[in-house]
Amino acid sequence: MEQFFFYFISAIILIFSILTVVGRKILRVAVYLLFALIGIAALFFLMDYYFQGAVQLMIYAGGIIVLIIFSIMLTSNIDLKFERVSRKKSMASALLCGTGALITSWAILTFDFKPSGLPPLENSMRQLGFSLLGRGAGGYVLPFEVITILLLAAMVGAIVIAKKQKNE
Amino acid sequence: MTKLYLLLFFILGVSLVGVALLISYLFHPKSTNPQKAEPYECGIKTHGPSWVQFNVGYYLFAILFLIFDVDTVFIFPWAVVMKDMGVAGLVEILIFFVVLGLGLLYGWKKGALKWE
Repeated sequence: MEQFFFYFISAIILIFSILTVVGRKILRVAVYLLFALIGIAALFFLMDYYFQGAVQLMIYAGGIIVLIIFSIMLTSNIDLKFERVSRKKSMASALLCGTGALITSWAILTFDFKPSGLPPLENSMRQLGFSLLGRGAGGYVLPFEVITILLLAAMVGAIVIAKKQKNE
Repeated sequence: MTKLYLLLFFILGVSLVGVALLISYLFHPKSTNPQKAEPYECGIKTHGPSWVQFNVGYYLFAILFLIFDVDTVFIFPWAVVMKDMGVAGLVEILIFFVVLGLGLLYGWKKGALKWE
């Protein structure tokens, strides 16, 4: 049953990823990308990584896609169709992508994965919360607070750039 | 076992919609005329494409939304262990909020939240 779901979701991700690359209408391509990202969230849920799945849905499917769609709508030529790629070019890129996929899968399949022997980590929100806010050994409270500085910098930078563009 | 339920749920959901569409396709009266394809029954037809360039202001709001979206990700684990962490956790999250509040304050001051 689990295997069936894995292959089913993987097939959906693959189909929509390919559609994202070969699609010629830009807004539709954004929606294909959305479906591919939702499929990845489904894979996380399948592996019982609920928090990661929720984050994937919230940040990628909810945030990044909104940003991409907004940026598409802000450009003037939305209904512009991409030019049809010449056969030679598409063949060359397909060959390149296929080779990359082959090398990657070969590396994964031939690598000798050894179980570490360590007890499996408890994967729960509680464990995550304790680690993130813990101050003792294995606690990540300093990175947790430093992240806010990073986010603050991102926010200020975004505002500065966007305001500058608006004034011009 | 839950995965089996999920599969049943999925099949049932797809077939419900599919059967509803199929039944309506089988029974609906088939008639086509040019009036049917018009966007409105009455009124003026639209001129030009409906795609217009959106206001740049939306983009700023989208970026701010994304950043606060990332914030919520970090707040979730705290919310789960809030009671166990006690005052220490509260102080840690307060620092988190204060720094982010500075960013919001900056945006407010710069007029990024104002709609133009």
